[in-house]
Order: sequence, then structure tokens, then C-alpha cells
Amino acid sequence: MKDFHERVLWLWKKLGSLRFALFLFIILAVGCIIGTLVPQGLSEREIFSRYGPRTARWLVTLQITDLYHSLGFRALLVLLGVNLIACTLQRLPKTMALLRDRDEFLDPAKLTKYALHRVMDVPLEFSKVRSLSEGLLRNAFGQVQHLHAPADTLSLVVEKGRWSRYMVYIIHLSVLWIFVGALAGSLYGFKGVMNLVEGETSNEVFIPRKRAMIALPFQVRCNDFHVSFYENGTPKEFRSDVTILENDLPALHASIRVNDPISYHGVTFYQASYGAVLKKARAAFAKGEGGERFELELPFGEALPFGSTDLKVQVVDFTEDFSGFGPAVAIATWKEGEQPTGSWILMNHPDFHGNRIQGYHVTVLETERGYYTGLQVKRDPGVPVVLTGFVILLVGLFTTFYVPHKKFYFWAQKSNPGTTVVVAAWSNKKSLAFEKEFQHLCDRLADAWDRRNEEK
Amino acid sequence: MNSSILLGVTTFAYLLATTLYLAGITFHKPKWLTWGTLCAIGTLLVQTAGIVLRWKESYDLGFGHAPLSNLYESLVFGSWVLVLIYVIFEKKIGHRALGFVPSGIAFLAMAYASFSPGVVSKIQPLVPALKSNWLIAHVVTCFMGYAAFAISFGLSVAYLWRRKKAERPLSLSTNSLIPGSRELDEFNYQMVLFGFFWLSIGIITGSVWANSAWGSYWSWDPKETWSLITWLIYAAVLHARAVRGWRGPRVAWLSVAGFCSVLFTYFGVNFLLSGLHSYATK
Ligand code: HEM
Repeated sequence: MKDFHERVLWLWKKLGSLRFALFLFIILAVGCIIGTLVPQGLSEREIFSRYGPRTARWLVTLQITDLYHSLGFRALLVLLGVNLIACTLQRLPKTMALLRDRDEFLDPAKLTKYALHRVMDVPLEFSKVRSLSEGLLRNAFGQVQHLHAPADTLSLVVEKGRWSRYMVYIIHLSVLWIFVGALAGSLYGFKGVMNLVEGETSNEVFIPRKRAMIALPFQVRCNDFHVSFYENGTPKEFRSDVTILENDLPALHASIRVNDPISYHGVTFYQASYGAVLKKARAAFAKGEGGERFELELPFGEALPFGSTDLKVQVVDFTEDFSGFGPAVAIATWKEGEQPTGSWILMNHPDFHGNRIQGYHVTVLETERGYYTGLQVKRDPGVPVVLTGFVILLVGLFTTFYVPHKKFYFWAQKSNPGTTVVVAAWSNKKSLAFEKEFQHLCDRLADAWDRRNEEK
Repeated sequence: MNSSILLGVTTFAYLLATTLYLAGITFHKPKWLTWGTLCAIGTLLVQTAGIVLRWKESYDLGFGHAPLSNLYESLVFGSWVLVLIYVIFEKKIGHRALGFVPSGIAFLAMAYASFSPGVVSKIQPLVPALKSNWLIAHVVTCFMGYAAFAISFGLSVAYLWRRKKAERPLSLSTNSLIPGSRELDEFNYQMVLFGFFWLSIGIITGSVWANSAWGSYWSWDPKETWSLITWLIYAAVLHARAVRGWRGPRVAWLSVAGFCSVLFTYFGVNFLLSGLHSYATK
């Protein structure tokens, strides 16, 4: 039983150790590196065609193509959190005890062992030294503590920045706090996309991670999508003018731009992408030289009779650029109740031999196009948590790094004739600036005594 | 007078500063090191004028923006911050012997920016993704961090070199101009603290920006991820100092690894991996 207890204690110590933290930092870094070298978020089909079945099976099993959401990576983050909590619980009580422990009296022999100290014999009465020094220290630092001392002795301590010793715990807590925010976001939020053709209204958001649709409790209508360019052809602005509808009534008109999203009831819409859509195409179908020829007006996605045949025809897809050959329209034909067949018709290459359907050569004569806007749609209740965590982290870093915890000791005793003084200083951050501050303080004290001495 | 002339002069003046610094420690001439510093400060002023002028020129072209928007401009700004931080640091610590590292890196960055055919130095309008006040905050803070890490790299290499020398105490060429290994370790720590603080702000401003522009404060984009890797390495440096057996050379090696990670974050990601930040290759 004792053995078991010891083991648990051992494990607890290890879990809270700095070595474990170092190990986790390095393993996490290595994990992140692997994640940037192997393309992430590929579909299983892409993985197999890219790596071949053997490698692909390993990649999928080890979740390396979705590494940052894999079980292993999450486990590492959880371990880092546990490490932090254990470390805090193990160290905080010690730090608090250490910092609560105040000096009760000053021992001049000890003070002279400080790296920063000065011993001075002052040709001035003890009472004068006493009032002068106290006044000066109070002026310089505000608060001065008196320690127990006999009547012919003065023991003063000035302490600054004790609180900054706790800030490292605040840093660590802020990291945990950010983790909590991220967790809240992944549990109670969603991130998806919404592609809206100009004029279209919808409340459906596609969630790529889950490969599922969700419905918003309100509708979004894209009134207009607008893209403008600089003279040199690079894009200048993307803008979607949208209306939010509640029960079919407009609730909000707004423009969404890159870097300028809108929020409605906790759901935020960002301008993410855009593309062209085909509304209508007019195409000519011709059989051989001087053979049968007819033209059709084909609204996108609508099935029409194919000339005088018993077939149906439909424009099923459109792309702005088909493998570098420019815009193309996918047209399919089928007999009622049978599998459709079809092909891509290249619009800018009317003579391309593949522009052919059911033996007809197809030429796209005219198209009516519009834009669709790609909106990123997000709800993340963790964001305020994460943002406050960021602020706390930065404040914590700054104060831990740059606010020193420092103490000045002043000891004076009546001697014959005059007074013996020992000044010493200590800081948790040794720095040249602190050394200078100490020397400056000593010089000011000496100056004050000198002046009083001369006045006499 | 236009900004490209000033920035061209800057490139060669940094080469001169590097040469002076290098000659100073090679031939044990403290005086030359002082000239190196003067040259670096003078160059910094010319470069400042060049950057300000470029800023103004972009307004004259009708699409004014801070000169931080593409690879060329970030290289120029990066070398500027590096030398600025170094000069202040040099004044604080009172050692000039390692000046050739920052001035050398600044020269290489400027030379690469000016002469590589892959780097476009023309002033271009901002693409919509970069039109944000966060751009300046993000780029400036990241480069403060990177610059500090570059100096930390120099200090760590000097530290490792010192330690190696110390193993063979009989070797004659102990260079008295270079600080001792304890001092180097302390300076390195100061630089890592400074860099870590600014890199943290850099990552956080980037994250807040991404949140307001794309709706996601973290999306594991390669650049983002590599800056996290850098951050983790330097977090390891900070913590390693508190672990027995990890002080000294291991901390120095970790700092070297950290700077390699900085370089990869900056160059490697642009050229080898793709992602949100790939505009920077243009
Ligand atoms: C990403 C997470 C973390 C961050 C950002 C972080 C940050 C910091 C910083 C900035 C310091 C001050 C260093 C200095 O002043 O030199 C520090 C100190 C410390 N950290 Fe962390 N830390 C993290 C995780 C951890 C973990 C997991 C542990 C668990 C053991 C830990 C244990 C400590 C300890 C014990 C110190 C005090 C070291 C000393 O006495 O000098 N930290 N941390």
C-alpha cells in the first residue's frame, strides 16, 4: 500500500516537473512540423491517389493528414494542461510561503554579504542620520518599513514589486484560460461556409469538418456581389451586400468586406471567396457539315427536351477555368429513367473535338453569368475567453520579464563618533540598471549627510 | 532623390559596417569596432529616410500604405529593426564585438531584397486581405521578435565558441574583445525574453486579425504553425534555464534551433509551403 502511495506521489511529481514541460514543448514542436510538411485536410480519396494504398493507410490510421485535430495531438495539449496545473499546485504554495516570509530584523554582517552593499561611516549624529535617511527613502520609494531594533539602531526595508513574483502563475493560468476558450469554441461553436448566388436567400451553412449542413434561425439574402480591381489588375475590394431576414422580414442590411465582417445574433459572416456562376447559356448543336442544326436556350440546372429527340438536356455545371482552357460548361443528356451522359464544352475553343454530345458538335454562343459570394459563417462563444486570455498573457509576460522584485535594506547604528551605516540591495533580476539605481541611492544618501554636515 | 537610391546606399553601407566590425575583432582593434557602430548608426538613419520616403511615394502613387506589405518591404523593415535593436542593446551592454552578426544579417537581407530576381521591389497597392490596421501592429511586433532572436543567435554561437575555447585553455587566441561565456549567457537570456515577449504580441495580433478578417483566430495555416513552433522552442529556452543540467550549451543550442525556426517561418514557409500568407512570395 505504501508502495502504491509512493508511486502515485512519484507520478504526481513527474507530471508537474519542468522536464516534462520541456519534453512536451519539444514533442509539440515536432508534431507541428510534421503537420506543416504533410498536406492537411485532404479527403481520403486524395490521400490514396497521392501516396498509394500502403502509405495512405498509415497516414489515415495515425491521423497525420488531420494532425492538429488528431487524438494524439489533442492528448499532448491535454498533457500540457495537466502539466501546468500540477506544476502550479506544487509550486504556488511554496512561492506564497517564501514571499510571505518577511524580514524581522537586520543583521549588518549579513547585509555586507550582498552583492550590492555599501558600508559608510557618517560623521553625523545618529538622530540626524535617522531623520534624513528616513525622509529620503520615503521620498524615493513612498513606503518604508521599520523593523525591530534597539534604540541606538535603525533598521529599514523598502520592498517593491513583490506582486510580480506571482505573475508567472498568471501567465500559466492565462495559457489554461486560452485552452478553455478554444475548447468552448470547439464544443459549442461551428464554422462553415455559405455560398450565395446574387439574389439568392438561404439559411443553410455547410460545415466542412462534419460534412453536414446546419440551418441558421434566420435567412441571409445576397443582394449583390461586387469586385473591383486596381489598374494593374490586382483585386482592390470584394464586397457582398446582404440582407438578414427574420420570418421573411428584413432585419438588417449590411455590406461584408474582407477584414470587415458583420455579426448577427452571435453569428459572424466573413467575406471568404467568390466565383462566377452561370445563369443561362445559349448553345448551338450541329450534326456534321451542313447537317441538322438547332439552338437551345438552357437555364442553369433545368432539364429541357433535347431538340426533336426523346432525350432531355441540362446544364449541370460551370467553371471559370477548365484545366487552363478557360470557361467551360458541363452539359448532360439522358433518356427518361436512364443514366445521364455528358461532357465539358470549352467555350473559348469552339473547334475543340471534345465539344460533342450525342454526336452533335456543341458551340456555346452566349452566356449570362452572375457571381456567387462565399461567406465564412462562424459562431464561437470561446472568442471572448481566448481574447481575454491573450491580454492576460501579455500583461503577465511584461510584468514577469520587466517588473523586478527588489528590496533595499538600510541599517544605521550610533558609533563613536558619528554613525555607521550599511545599505544593501537585492533584486530577483540582476541588471545594470538596478546596480545603477543602488549606487544612485547611496550617493543621494551620502550627499544629504554631507550637506547637513556642512550646514552645521 | 528617391527611396530606392537611399535603400541601395543602405545595402552597401551595411556591408561596410559588417566589414569594420569583423576587421575589428579579427585584428583586435577596438577603434574599428567603434567605427563599425558609427557606420551602423549612420546607415540606420539613411535607411529610416528611405523607408519614410517609400511610404510617402506610395501615397503619391494614389494607394498609400505603410511599407510592410510584401517580401521586399518586410526584408527592408526587418533589417532596420534588427540594427535598431542591436545598436540600443550594444549601448546597454557596452560590448561591440558581436556587431558583425546583426549588421551582416541586415546586409544579407538588404542584398537579397535588392538583387534577387524573385523579390519585387515595386510599390504595389494592397490586396483586400491586407487592408487592415492590424497589418502594421502584426508585422512590426513579429519583426521585433525576429530581430531579437537574430541577435540571440549571434550571442549563442559566440557562447558555444567560447565554451569550446575554454575546453582548450592553452590555445592562445582567446579573444578578449568578446564577452565571457557567463555574460554571453546572460545577454542571450535578456534577448530571448525580449524576443519572446514581442513574438507573443506578434502571434496574438496576427490571431486577433485573422479572427476579425477570416473568422478564425487559429487555423493551423503553415505560417501560423511555424510561428507557434518558434514560440514553443523559445518557451523551452526560458524553461530550460530553470532545469538543472539544461543550462549553458543546451540553452544555446536551443536558441540556435529557435533562430533556424524563425528563418524557416519567414522564408521556408513562403517558398516551400502554401497558405494564407503566400502573398508574401510575390
Ligand atoms: C505554453 C505554455 C507556457 C508558457 C507560455 C510559459 C511561460 C513561462 C514564462 C514566460 C516564464 C518566466 C520565465 C522567466 O522569467 O525566465 C515561465 C516560468 C516557469 N514556468 Fe512556464 N510556461 C508555460 C508552460 C509551463 C509548464 C507546462 C510548466 C510545467 C512545469 C511550466 C513551469 C514553469 C516554471 C516552474 C517556471 C518558473 C521557472 C523559474 O523558476 O525560473 N511552464 N513560464
